[in-house]
Amino acid sequence: MIAFESLEVRYPGAKEPALKGMSLSLEDGIVGLLGPNGAGKSTLLKTLLGLLEPSAGGGQVLGVGLGTPAAAKLRGRIGYMPEYDALIEDATAYEQVAFWGELSGLEPEAARDRAHEVLYFVGLDEARYRAVSGYSTGMRQRVKLAQALVHSPELVFLDEPTNGLDPEGRRRMLDLVMKVHAELGTGVILASHLLGDVERVADQLVILDKGRISASGSMSGLRKALSKRVELRFLDPLNASQEESLPELGALHEARNGYYDLEMKDADPLSAFRWAESHGAVLVQVTPRHDRLDEVLLRALHPERSLESEKA
Amino acid sequence: MPIYAPSLPPKPDLSLGQPPALVLARFDLKRILRQKMGRFFGFIFTFMLIWRLGYVYLYYLKDQNAVIGKMMDAAAPVLAQGAAWHADMLGGWLTYLLWFLVALIGGGLVARDTLYRVRPLMYAHPVKPSDYWIAKLGLSALVPFAVLLLFALLPWFLSVGLTGLHGVMWASTPLRLVPAALIIALLMGSVASGASSLASTPRAGIAWVIGVALGLEALGGMLFGILGSGAWMAISPMSLSAAWPRLLCGAPGGFFGWGPTLVGTAAHFVLWTLLLKNRTQPSEAVL
Repeated sequence: MIAFESLEVRYPGAKEPALKGMSLSLEDGIVGLLGPNGAGKSTLLKTLLGLLEPSAGGGQVLGVGLGTPAAAKLRGRIGYMPEYDALIEDATAYEQVAFWGELSGLEPEAARDRAHEVLYFVGLDEARYRAVSGYSTGMRQRVKLAQALVHSPELVFLDEPTNGLDPEGRRRMLDLVMKVHAELGTGVILASHLLGDVERVADQLVILDKGRISASGSMSGLRKALSKRVELRFLDPLNASQEESLPELGALHEARNGYYDLEMKDADPLSAFRWAESHGAVLVQVTPRHDRLDEVLLRALHPERSLESEKA
Repeated sequence: MPIYAPSLPPKPDLSLGQPPALVLARFDLKRILRQKMGRFFGFIFTFMLIWRLGYVYLYYLKDQNAVIGKMMDAAAPVLAQGAAWHADMLGGWLTYLLWFLVALIGGGLVARDTLYRVRPLMYAHPVKPSDYWIAKLGLSALVPFAVLLLFALLPWFLSVGLTGLHGVMWASTPLRLVPAALIIALLMGSVASGASSLASTPRAGIAWVIGVALGLEALGGMLFGILGSGAWMAISPMSLSAAWPRLLCGAPGGFFGWGPTLVGTAAHFVLWTLLLKNRTQPSEAVL
């Protein structure tokens, strides 16, 4: 779906590049693009849309090279829901969704038909003839989603789609995002700084920080790779010398009744068995501790600080 | 009430659509036609057109009716049908009203997109910056051109229809007035859309256009008064739009001739079009 190698993007006149040497390959699915404000999420989306030209490196989106003349045509195959409120206030939802459809290359009649259908899809069929100036925040977000879907894109970029929504509105929007992939077969790139949103819908995750990729992969794989936190259960509590040498295995968080909660240096659990064997201890169980996504994110962004903050 | 499918049908063909510039212009035209100001201007322009058509018809009656003929002969000194009369078809109050109409329409065209922040989203579609500014400039020029074309051609058609090629209007009138209408419309369109790109709200855009038109007219008048050369009036787009029918019909009078008119019109067109083009580039992006 998307692949890029050593991608660097620099804004005109900027000292530092906004994206620094990014390499990544993403498969079809819902991809969560996660990172704090200013991490480079919007810049990456603009680059993938062909709005920004790479200053170094390159890549492909749906088989089209970034920065090539064909990238302009590529925008007809992609849907984009911007973070900001890009709605024509004095037009009805139907009028503007049909308009965006025509701008994507649909003939007028097809654009009108699909505007009705896509507004039904996002749940705005009853309100489609009202000017959007009277819409609630949730309805406005759904109009933005509808305009991104009206031309049946192969891939859709959603930039902070739950911005400003209440919990119920957020739930509806995230359901819609999952429905877009499940029912329409459209690939989704969801940029957000809200961990819960990404955790709920994404099956792949890319964590950005300061223009670099801190971590990427499938949600489960990423958790596994980043989570070195295990609970070790020994047959008998360790003796003093064994406890003294336990830091060879990793940083100890807690010890009680033969259970040792530690962050291993090596993600491979076999290394714990090897350590036990070499120190004359009987290790009977290694239980990986499944981190929450916020712990994963914290580790990816600040590997040096995450342990200290947990201890604190 | 139509019944819709529970999900979207197969992917449509994206190669059948219209050029993006045409889509943009059509969408804006629909919005303009919905606005109530169309009724006001429609009434005024129709009244002015009927007045002029009535004149052509009365002139025809003069030859058919002895009583009216005598009356018209008596009024002949004040009812000249020479070059100035032809040039006036596209001049006088019509020009002032058209500037006001273009300010109301064109002043908001670009500024509204800036206010609603839809331009970046347009560029996220297969729309090039040139599509955008061509659509805005084209529509700003199309409206005055359509009005001017009515004033240039309808009286001529009536005259030719009633009295043949020897009536009140010259046979060559369209060859003189249609190019004038096109140049005036392009001048008005470029000034309106360029000035609109300087504003961030439609009202500010309208104020910009009116300010530029009236401000340069006043400045031209002042420079004329101080420096004594009528050519300074050519800095005013309003004076330029009044000059073209006069020059193309060969009417006497006016403060400046062909040279200042050509230079002034070209300068305004290039300046405001470049401004529009540069002010509507996608920020940061290289397209």
